[in-house]
Amino acid sequence: MTRTAMTRQTRGDPGKIWTLEVSGIAKNYGATCALRNASLRLRPGKVHALLGENGAGKSTLVKIVVGAIQPDRGRIALNGVPTLFAGVRQAIAAGVIPIYQHLSLFPHLSVLENLSAFAIAGAAGLRARPALVPRATARAWLDAVGLGCDLDLPVERLSVGERQLVEIARGLGQRCTLLVLDEPTAALTHDETDRLFGVVRRLCAEGTAVLFISHKFDEIEALADDVTVLRDGVAVIDAEPLASLSRAELVRAMLGDMVEPGDRALPQPGGPVLTATGLRLGPADAAADITVRAGEIVGLAGLVGSGALELAAALAGARPVAAGTLAVRGEALPAGDRVRAVAAGVGYVPADRHAEGLFGPLAALQNASSSTVALFSRGGLLRPGGEAAALMPWLRRLNLHPFQPERPAAGFSGGNQQKLLLSRNLAVPDLRVLVVLEPTRGVDIAARETIHDALVEAAGRGVAVVVASSDLDEVMALSHRILVVRHGSLDGELPRGTGRAALMDRLAGRRAA
Amino acid sequence: MMALTGARPRRFSGRLNPPAAVWVVLLLFCVFALAVPRFASAGNLENLLRVGSILGIAACGQTIVLILGGIEFSFGASAALASVVTVLALPSAGVAGGFAAGATAVLLVGLVNGTLVARFSLPPFLVTLGMLMVAGGGAAVLAGGLPIDAPPSDAFSWPARGRVAGIPVPILAAAASFALLHLLLAHTRAGRLWYLVGANGTAARLSGITVWRSVLAGYLLAGAFCALAAVILTSRVASGQPGLAPNLPFETIAACAVGGIPLAGGQGRAVQTLCGVLVIAMLNNAVVLLNLPVAYQQLMIAAVILGAVLLQQAPRLLLLLPVRPARQPEEERS
Repeated sequence: MTRTAMTRQTRGDPGKIWTLEVSGIAKNYGATCALRNASLRLRPGKVHALLGENGAGKSTLVKIVVGAIQPDRGRIALNGVPTLFAGVRQAIAAGVIPIYQHLSLFPHLSVLENLSAFAIAGAAGLRARPALVPRATARAWLDAVGLGCDLDLPVERLSVGERQLVEIARGLGQRCTLLVLDEPTAALTHDETDRLFGVVRRLCAEGTAVLFISHKFDEIEALADDVTVLRDGVAVIDAEPLASLSRAELVRAMLGDMVEPGDRALPQPGGPVLTATGLRLGPADAAADITVRAGEIVGLAGLVGSGALELAAALAGARPVAAGTLAVRGEALPAGDRVRAVAAGVGYVPADRHAEGLFGPLAALQNASSSTVALFSRGGLLRPGGEAAALMPWLRRLNLHPFQPERPAAGFSGGNQQKLLLSRNLAVPDLRVLVVLEPTRGVDIAARETIHDALVEAAGRGVAVVVASSDLDEVMALSHRILVVRHGSLDGELPRGTGRAALMDRLAGRRAA
Repeated sequence: MMALTGARPRRFSGRLNPPAAVWVVLLLFCVFALAVPRFASAGNLENLLRVGSILGIAACGQTIVLILGGIEFSFGASAALASVVTVLALPSAGVAGGFAAGATAVLLVGLVNGTLVARFSLPPFLVTLGMLMVAGGGAAVLAGGLPIDAPPSDAFSWPARGRVAGIPVPILAAAASFALLHLLLAHTRAGRLWYLVGANGTAARLSGITVWRSVLAGYLLAGAFCALAAVILTSRVASGQPGLAPNLPFETIAACAVGGIPLAGGQGRAVQTLCGVLVIAMLNNAVVLLNLPVAYQQLMIAAVILGAVLLQQAPRLLLLLPVRPARQPEEERS
């Protein structure tokens, strides 16, 4: 692949070669149009951010770039050469390396075997066992991403961040011209994120182009050089330098003419509702005392692994504890008993909506009603129409989109799935406590606002709300006060209005003088 | 989304929403009616339904277990145990008492299955396989290894050969079973909880559902359906046989699969099971009418079952088109 032959390909800008040039892409799924006129132009050695709401067509465009699907219309050129990948393997062979949000490693196999996966996949049928990558080479790949782990360690023993680095290392072993990072930091700690960004910058310095998909503006501003924004399948901002755009302009481009939300007014808290006394997650953890008042939103914030999510789950009776008592309005509640907790009006939205929240094949309506089946059944029989009467108002209020309550939950976007889990709890009669973990992880901005509004509204009607989130902006925006969680227990409290930097310091264990 | 039945949003409201298997039933019926002599005669159709009713009743139980995300292998052996217990109890307990004793034996097997699965979280595959051996072994021990004949009596043969208003009792029992299954699944709280538990047990627990109770109730009810099937079967063979219905669990699973019920749990409707049962009953009947050797019967039935399942789950395969991996609907647009 010589560079001289392809200069003509770049439109209107002779002499400049795009690593990846995608233009006029359209893709329809049946009657639904995922992409209308998408384009993407990546410069070598630069990080290019791809922004857009869920449903804007980002994932579709990324899948086309990595060869997972083929466009109906449009042109793709890699280093100036028109290309159409028939499959992911071809794309990888051409140097387009995707790193997914959901890791594509083999957990039981060793690091070395995982690093050799592409070679194994490329080997033909029943021939002799394909050779593993030489250990020295594998070592060099790992060094390139700053990972010093044992080559024979099963991948499942690594942290999520380390696994992601292994995946990138595997990509580096190929001729990597374009690295595609699809929400790579969703499950990473701050240190791991920094390390990943370091690796990305080093790769860029060597001329690799990087396509970076993320919902987090801070990361985008820290890492990206150029940006493309998709809205409704069209590139509304087309490969412009990030520095020339403000955050507000980007948000406006993503959302269209929606008004930017201001600071929410939080309701005035009343008397105590939820009290946890001497709560210990594990026998070695320090005891935590937590009181949440009616109409109060308490944020639990902590770094990944701090126990913030676990502590919140324990407050909802969703996990057993080593010691301590829970009480709702003075009535004791056994730990780890969701049946009693729901009866006492304690709602819970788990962190992992697929594993712990959704009934994928069942209709949206039935997903929303799973905590309140008793409410619309009499003598063991379901009252006709009772379910719809109880739940439809909530689905409408949370703006379920598309509004198809009979559609299986698996067929909705993440934001709308999250709305289903929220309506499940909001519909609980006499809801007193609502514990929400990661309310908007992987959710687009509009759904995020709807969900935040619903939480504040719930507090407004006297519910004691607990929000545990790794998204600090979210915790800061919603909470009356923020409880800092470190090492499985509480480590102080911060009032509303605490700055981001101060909060970060506390999460990392640094105290202001 | 593309599969004909499985992924379609199921409606609990009871509106008519025929599964794809209906077309398999109609197609097969037309083919056999044209190709197999005497198939479409009233007498033969009655016979077909009467023979198929036992499978149908047991399949109702299997449907519940499959919706719960489990699987039930012990049906055949527990029916055999029931037949032996019934015949052994006849002299002392009389006909009704004998049948009650047999049915109780099946319910006990269901109770053990349910308890082990629900309370001890053991895998249903292993639990019911184990109980298959326990019930089968128990039946053989009780019978001393040989079939025991029941003294012939009208009362004893009524469940299999009696008629009410001119309709054979087994057909009535099967019709009632399917009606009950439909009611349970579509209109009761217990049925709704089975779907929720089967689709995602963790999510069900976190929603405040007492999962173990739902699972136990499901296996018990499945045992009740099997008990009814066992009573009719015992009456029909008029003996206690330790090796009575070895294929029953597999035929009930096949019936559900032919009806389009995925084995993954959380899905399935009574009408799907009914369709699957009809397909298998028609096949069994047709191969008998055609007087095929037993080995060919099995092969033909196997082929149709696999074909029907393929037709439902991967229609493209039948047209020899490559199957595309299911698209993840993570980005939905309307």
